[in-house]
Amino acid sequence: MPGYYDISDILMEDEAVSVAFHVGANGVGLLDPGTETNSVEKGAKIDLPFWLAHELCRRRAVSITIPSCFGQKMKKDVQADAACVDLGTRYPYFYEFGCKLFPLVGDKSIGLFLRHTFANRYKEMLSKSHTASLNAIPKFVLRLSKEEYQLFEAARSSMVEFKKWRVRDLGLMKTTIVGHKRKTDLH
Amino acid sequence: MYARRAAQLLQELSSCEEGQLPPYNGDKFDQVIRECEEHSRQFQSLIRDKDIETKNEDHYGSFIHHLSIIRNKRCLMAYMYKRAEVIQSYRWNVGRVLPREIQDKLNFSEQEYFKDYCGVIDSYMKDLDLDLTVDMVPPKDPYIRVRVLSEIGEVSLGDHAVSLTKDSFHFLRRTDAEPFISQVLLHSIILMLNFECVIIF
Repeated sequence: MPGYYDISDILMEDEAVSVAFHVGANGVGLLDPGTETNSVEKGAKIDLPFWLAHELCRRRAVSITIPSCFGQKMKKDVQADAACVDLGTRYPYFYEFGCKLFPLVGDKSIGLFLRHTFANRYKEMLSKSHTASLNAIPKFVLRLSKEEYQLFEAARSSMVEFKKWRVRDLGLMKTTIVGHKRKTDLH
Repeated sequence: MYARRAAQLLQELSSCEEGQLPPYNGDKFDQVIRECEEHSRQFQSLIRDKDIETKNEDHYGSFIHHLSIIRNKRCLMAYMYKRAEVIQSYRWNVGRVLPREIQDKLNFSEQEYFKDYCGVIDSYMKDLDLDLTVDMVPPKDPYIRVRVLSEIGEVSLGDHAVSLTKDSFHFLRRTDAEPFISQVLLHSIILMLNFECVIIF
């Protein structure tokens, strides 16, 4: 579980979600760019950062609409070719966000969708990570989400270590004596 | 407002490479603290003279301000914590004295933190009578071949004295040679082992 100080968790919770307010809220007019008074009306639809939406949803003040990254279009894209979907630029925190969103929204299909996406992308990612060279960054790496990228890096570095191990020094006895060869005096 | 600046601060930190730090962004840090004060003022004005139990609009508004303060606090704490971790790693990877370009990235209290951390490590090592900062990578060999880069002169190592004149080669015990290598006075040529045998002998 990510900790309090985990920076990627904090940044992930900054993702925007669209919410509908069940109640009004005073003094927070800055949240809604369209409002004239310094408050949010009941029934307003606003984009909030996830950390705020999460807490308000727990207290039943808002309801969260499923964001586009788990919507129908995305599902169609994944069905067509999961490995080509660009998570790196559009939704870098795709999996973590989905896991946190899932209990709040009540849409059971998100969990299965996440697993399906990951399973389909994993095969290609695994084969590419084992063959990728250390210096060049293959284009497909830019399409990976943060979590996938960590896996990719782990696989790449373990491949590098394996190659190093394969060509290591085999059995050369290093001399401990340095200096000119001693001529044993036989006489 | 609403922790956007704090998130920018963390973005800056996370966009740096592992083990590196961006310069300390004191301005943004202060701005986030001022935002927290603003949230606190708004919060005070919303809960003044109100019954805490009634869940009306003021209640939710004040709740949102409260959450923003907590969120800002978390971002700032994570910022300081991550920087402190990297500063600690500097002692182990770089050494007791930080080069100029790293020092410029730290603010005053971070430099103090580094000094205190070095002091703690040093007193611990003194109690153990062991230098923990050598051999960070386990060595393959107790002996190491070195070439002297600048004139050091006569040095007594253990039971015998070695004359370290410039550009001379020696075969020393690794623990003896390490302090000189870290001060860039000796150059370890362990990788050229095979070459060495051809050139010298």
